[in-house]
Amino acid sequence: MVATPPAGTMGTSPNPSGPKSGLPAATARSSDQLSGGQSKRMQAGLLDKKALELENEFKTKHLGVMGVLTWILLLHVAGIYLFTKGFLLTRMVLEDKSACDVLPFEDVLAQPHTTALGSKQQKGCWHEKTFDKAVVIIIDALRYDFTVPFASKGESDTVHLFHNNIPVLYETAVENPANAFLLPFIADPPTTTLNRLKGLTTGTLPTFLEAGSNFAGTAIDEDNLVAQLHSAGKNLVHLGDDTWQALFPGYFDTNLTHAYDSFNVWDLHTVDNGVTEHLFPLLRPENSKKWDVIFGHYLGVDHAGHRYGPNHAAMASKLQEMDRVIRDIIAALDDKTLLVVMGDHGMDIKGDHGGESDDEVEAALWMYSKRGIFGRTSKDTILPPQSVRDRFVPQIDLVPTLSLLLGMPIPFNNLGSPIEEAFSGARGNNWANLATVNRLTAAQVKRYQRQYALARGAGDDEEAALLWTAAEEEWKSTSKGFTSKSTAARASNELYRKYQRHTLDICRGLWARFDVPSMIQGVVILFTSIVLLIIYARGLKTDRTQLTSRLLRFASVGAGVGAVAGSVFGLAGLTEMSIVDGAVLLAAAGSILGATPVLVKQPANLTLPLPNGMWGWLAFFFTVSQSIGFASNSYTIWEDEILLFFLTTFGVCAGVSSMRQKQTTDRILGVYHSILFVILGRIASFSRLCREEQMPFCRSTYYASSASSTSAPWQLAIPFLVTLFLPSVVRSFYAGSKSYEGAAPPWIGFAFRFGLFVTSVFWILEGADDGEWLPLSSETLKFVRVFLAQFVLALAFAAGSIAYFYSKPCVSINVIKPTEDPNSPPAPIIAGQQQGPRTTVTILGFGNVYGTHFCFLLLNFALAIILMQKPMGQGAIALLLWQILSLLEILDTNSLTMTNSSIGPVILGVLGSFYYFKTGHQATLSSIQWETAFIPLATIQYPWSPIFVILNTFGAQILAAIAVPLTVLWKRPLQTHDRVPASNPNKNPATRILSDVVQAAGTHILYLATINLATTMWAGHLRRHLMLYRIFSPRFMMGSAVLAVVDVVLMIFAVGGVRWSTLSVAEIFGW
Amino acid sequence: MAPDNSSAPGGSSSTTLVPDEKPSASPVNILPSLVSRIYSIAHPALLLALGATRFEALVADPTKELLYTLPWLTLIQILYVIVCLPPAGSTPSAETSASAPADGKSSPRPSVPSGAARHGKHGKRKQHANSWALIWSRLLPALLSLALTFAVATPILTILLVLFGAPLTTHNSETVLCAAHMAVLSATALIYVHGLDRAVWNEVWGIARPADAVWGSALGTGLGAWFGAIPIPLDWDRPWQAFPITILVGAYIGYAVGSLLSRTPLVYGKRVRFTSEDLSETEKKTN
Repeated sequence: MVATPPAGTMGTSPNPSGPKSGLPAATARSSDQLSGGQSKRMQAGLLDKKALELENEFKTKHLGVMGVLTWILLLHVAGIYLFTKGFLLTRMVLEDKSACDVLPFEDVLAQPHTTALGSKQQKGCWHEKTFDKAVVIIIDALRYDFTVPFASKGESDTVHLFHNNIPVLYETAVENPANAFLLPFIADPPTTTLNRLKGLTTGTLPTFLEAGSNFAGTAIDEDNLVAQLHSAGKNLVHLGDDTWQALFPGYFDTNLTHAYDSFNVWDLHTVDNGVTEHLFPLLRPENSKKWDVIFGHYLGVDHAGHRYGPNHAAMASKLQEMDRVIRDIIAALDDKTLLVVMGDHGMDIKGDHGGESDDEVEAALWMYSKRGIFGRTSKDTILPPQSVRDRFVPQIDLVPTLSLLLGMPIPFNNLGSPIEEAFSGARGNNWANLATVNRLTAAQVKRYQRQYALARGAGDDEEAALLWTAAEEEWKSTSKGFTSKSTAARASNELYRKYQRHTLDICRGLWARFDVPSMIQGVVILFTSIVLLIIYARGLKTDRTQLTSRLLRFASVGAGVGAVAGSVFGLAGLTEMSIVDGAVLLAAAGSILGATPVLVKQPANLTLPLPNGMWGWLAFFFTVSQSIGFASNSYTIWEDEILLFFLTTFGVCAGVSSMRQKQTTDRILGVYHSILFVILGRIASFSRLCREEQMPFCRSTYYASSASSTSAPWQLAIPFLVTLFLPSVVRSFYAGSKSYEGAAPPWIGFAFRFGLFVTSVFWILEGADDGEWLPLSSETLKFVRVFLAQFVLALAFAAGSIAYFYSKPCVSINVIKPTEDPNSPPAPIIAGQQQGPRTTVTILGFGNVYGTHFCFLLLNFALAIILMQKPMGQGAIALLLWQILSLLEILDTNSLTMTNSSIGPVILGVLGSFYYFKTGHQATLSSIQWETAFIPLATIQYPWSPIFVILNTFGAQILAAIAVPLTVLWKRPLQTHDRVPASNPNKNPATRILSDVVQAAGTHILYLATINLATTMWAGHLRRHLMLYRIFSPRFMMGSAVLAVVDVVLMIFAVGGVRWSTLSVAEIFGW
Repeated sequence: MAPDNSSAPGGSSSTTLVPDEKPSASPVNILPSLVSRIYSIAHPALLLALGATRFEALVADPTKELLYTLPWLTLIQILYVIVCLPPAGSTPSAETSASAPADGKSSPRPSVPSGAARHGKHGKRKQHANSWALIWSRLLPALLSLALTFAVATPILTILLVLFGAPLTTHNSETVLCAAHMAVLSATALIYVHGLDRAVWNEVWGIARPADAVWGSALGTGLGAWFGAIPIPLDWDRPWQAFPITILVGAYIGYAVGSLLSRTPLVYGKRVRFTSEDLSETEKKTN
C-alpha cells in the first residue's frame, strides 16, 4: 500500500463523487484520532484480511465471467460450424482413374480406333498424339485484356500501363494462325491459384469449401493430368510457385524441379528469375532428353498486381519481361514440343483476385507449335477475339485438349471439352478428327456421370441420356461413310459437344447442393444462443457474477451429456450425421438446455428485456434495421454509407439529449462531444475503398488511384499528423478529469507518441522502397522496416502489457500535514467529521480512476493496429480512437455509463463495423490486405502471419471491442467496500464492476451476434440468388469471422484486462 | 442488484426539464378566425398537391426545379404564417402562453372556444380599423423570419445533410437547395411564431417542444427527410432515387403529416420523451 489513508478513512467522508463524477479531484480528510495503536493495528489486520477476501472473491468471479464468455464463444463456433458445413458446397471426390488401355465406351467392340494396342504407348492412348513434349507456362493473373491490343471503347477509355506490353501472343496468333491461337480463358470462381490449378489439371469444377484451403494446399487425390503423365512414365519438371508441390507431391523430377515460396507478394522477382534461370538450360537441344513436360509458373505479374495494382509501371515492366521470356522460349523450341502460355485467373482493378467478377475470371490462353497444326473452323474466329464476349473457352477445356494432344487418357473427372482450334487441322475442316475427340471426351464425361450417380445413389439425368443417344445414333449411322468434310461428322460433333456442355451445366447446378438440415441446425444454435445472451445481458436484475458457477456447471454438464449422446448416436448409426457433427450439435443443444433453467429460474430477477427509453430503442433499431437490410444486396453493398448514416443519427440524438441535461457543464460538454463525434465520423468517411458493385457512384481514396494498391505520396503525411495530434487528443481527454497524472504522461506523451513516430518512419521507408527514392537497396530497406515494425509491436504488446499489469492508476495524491503550514485556513467542515488536527489528502484524477487506467490497454492496441494499417487507414484508426473517447464523454454527460444502457456497446459495434470499411476493406474476399503480413515479418511464419492479417483486417472491430468495458468504467465513481450502503454489507463492489462490464460485453456481442445471425440466415435463404457468391456469402463469412474474433478479443483482452485495472485501483484505494 | 442510489440523483436531474424552471412558450394555436382554421388544414394538402404536380419535373432536373419552385414555396409559406399563425410577441401568443398552465392542468385540448371568441372580436375590430397595419404587423416578422431562414437555417441544414452523408464534392447545388426547401418548410414558421426566444430554441434543440402545428411540421420535416434517405441505396434503377429527391419528398410528406397530426387532441401539447425516467416523472406528476 502506498502512503494513503487506508480504505476506512476514505469511507468516513461523504461520497465525494456523484453519479456524474463531475468532481475531478476529491478531498478527503483523515483524522488521526483512532483509539490507540493497539486497536488500530487490529483493525488494520482485520481490514487487510477483509481486503484479501474481497480480492480473492473478485479474482474467482473474474475467471468465472471469462468462462461464461468462453461458453458463448463455443456456442457461436458450433452454430457457425454447423451452418457452414451445410452451406459451403461440397462435391464427392471419386478416386477412379482413367487408364490408357481402357477406352471410355461401354461397348468396346464398337470401337474402330482400338486397333494396334501394342503401339499405343508410342502413338497415344485413346487418340493419336500430336506432340511428344510440352512446355506449359503459367503467368499468374494474366488477364486477357493484357494480351490483346488496346481498343478504346469510349472517350474516357484510355490506354493503361497494363495494355500493349505483352504483344507476342497476339502477334503470333495473327501472323501465323496455324502456329498459334489466343483465346479468353474463363476461370471458375473462386479465382485463387490453388483452386485454379486443381481445375486446370483435373478438369472438374471447384466447390466453395475448397476456397478455404488456399493457405494449406493439400495433395489432389482425384485423377488429373499430372498424375496421368506421371504414371505414363513421363519425366515432369516443375519450376516456380510452390503450390504445385503441395498439390502434386512426388510427381516431379527432383533434380530439375525448383519451387519457390508463393505468398511473398512484395517480392516481384525472385520466383520469376528462378523460373527463367532454370527453364532455358532445359530447352537446349542437348537437354531435350531429360524431360517430357515442363510446368513453369511465373508469379511476378500477380505480385505486381497485389502490390501496386495493374495500372503501375511495375506491371508494365513485368509484362514486358514476360514478353521477352516467351519470345526466347519460342526461339528455343523444337518441332515436337507444344508451348502453352496461360493465366490461371485475372485480377480486379486493384490487382487482387479471389472472387468472381469479370476481371477476375477472364484469363488468357495461348498455344504455340512450330508445326502449324492449329486451325479455325470459321472465318469469324481467325483473329483472337477483341473481347471475352465474342468467344471464350472455359479453363477446364485445357484438360482434355492437353491430354489428347499428348496422347494421354482424359482424366476421369474431366468435364471440359476439347478446344476446337487444336483438333480441326491447319485448314480448319478436319471434322472427323473433331468428332472423334469430342466423342471420346463425351464418353468419358458419361462414364464419370454414371459413377457419380452410383456413388450418390441417384439416377441419370434424362435429358443428358437423350442427348447422348442422339449423338450416338448420328455417329453410328454415318461413321462408315463420312469423309473429313462431311456434314454428318460435323453434326455428330455438334451433338457430342452439346452433351458435354449440358452435363457441365448439370454439374454446376448439382454441386450447388446445400445441406439444408445442417444449415438449419446451425441457425437454430445461433438463434438460441442469442436468446440466452439477451436474457443474460439485458434481462437480469441481479449481479451476473452470482450466476456464474451454476451457469457454467449446468452448461458443461449439458454439453458433456450432449457430446456423449451425439457420439453414441453417430457410432450406433442412428443418424446420418457424422460423429463429430452429432456430438457438436447435441453438445451445443445440451449446454443451452442446461443453462436456460439457471437463467430463468427466479422470475423475480428477470425483467422483460425490452428496449428501454429512447437510447434502448435506438440501439435496438440500429441492430435490427441493419440485420433486416442484409436481406437486400443494395444495403449490403452500401453498408459503409448506412453505418455513417446511423452514426450521424446517434450523434444528433446525443446532441439533442445533451441539450436536455440540467447541468450546464453536462449540456455544453455533451453538445460539444456530439458535434465532434458526428464531424469525426464524416471526416473518416472520406477514406473509401469502393467495391466493384458501388461503381460508378463511388470514388476510392484509400490508395493512390483506383487501379493501385499503394499509397499516394501525400498520404504518407497522415502517419506524421497522427503522431503529432493523436497523443495530444488522448491527453485532453485525460486532462478533462485531471487524470493526466501518474503513468499517463510517460505513456501517452512519450511511449505512445514514440511508437507512432516509428510507425510513420516505417511507412516513409515503405514509400521510399516503392518509389525508389533512396539510394539504398531493397534488402536493406526491408531489413530496417521489419525491425522498426517489430519494435513497435514489442512496445505495444510486450512493454505495454507489462506496464499495464503493474502501473498505478492515473492519480496524483498530495498529502498536506497541517503542522507544516499552521497559517492555512481552517478546512471546511464536512458533516459527520470530527474537528481536530487534520491531514488534507488531495487526489487529482479521482473522478476517472478506472477508465483512465483501462484506457492504457486501448492505447496499446491502438498503436499496434495503427502500425498494421496503410497510411490512410492509420488516419482512420486515429479518428476511431478519438470518436471512441468522444463517445465515452457523451455517455458520461448523458448519465449512460452507470445505468448500463445498451447504447454504448452497440454504438461501439457500429463504430467497429464502420471503420472496417474506412481502413480499406469491403465485405469481399479480394479486399483482404494479405501483404500486411509482411509488415513485421520478412517471410510467412505461422501463427504470426495470420494474426497480423487479422489485426489489419479486423483492427477497427478489435479496437472497438477493447473499448467496451470503458462504457461502464469511464468516469465511474470509486466504489470500495465501505462506501456501499450498510444495508448490503456482504456485497463486494468490485463484483458490481465485473457484472456491469460483462453486461456491456454481452451487449456488444449481442449486436455482432445478431448481425451474424442475420447475414447467416439471409445467405442461407438466398442460396440460389444470383449474387450469392458476390455479396451474401462474403458478408456471411465476414460476419462470422468478426463475431469469432471479437468474442475472443472481448473475453481475453477486454474483460480480461478489467482484472488489472480493478486490482490497480484497489491497491491504492482499497477494496 | 443493489438499488442504484448513486444514479438516482443523475436520473432525476435529467428528468427535470427546462420548462419546469422557467415558463417557456406553450403550444401555439392556429389563429381562431375561420379563414385561418380552414387554410391551416388546406395548406399541407396544398403543398403536397403542388409537390405531386412538380414531381416529374423534379426527377428530370432537380437543380432547376428546386430553384424554380423555391420562390413559390417561400410565398406559400409566408401566406400560411401570415394567415394562420400569431407572430412572435403578438397579443395572441402572449395570451395563449398566459392561459397555458390552465390548459396543462385541465385537459390537453386548448381552450379554443373562449380564445376563439376573444380573438374573433379582436380581429374584426382591427380589420375595420386598420387592416393594412395588421398585415404589415405580420408581414414584417414574416420577412424577418424568412431572412433568418435563409441566412441561418439553410446553412445549418446543409451542414446536417452533408454530415448525414450527402456528397461534399459533388451535387452541391442540390444539397443547398434541398436544405433551403427544408428550411423554408420547418424554420420559417418556427421563427415567425417564436422569434429568438432562447428558452424556446433550447427546447427546439432538445426536441422538447410541446406538440403544435408549427413544431409538429418542423419535426415532421426532419423525420421525413431522415426516412427519405432509406430508398436511395436500393438497386431499383429508378430516376427518382437520385440524391435529393427522396429526401425532399420525405420532408414534404413529413411536414404535412406532422402539421396535421400534431393538432389532434391525442398528440397536441405532448413532448417527446427520451428516457423512461421522463415518463415516470410525468406519471407521478399527473397522479
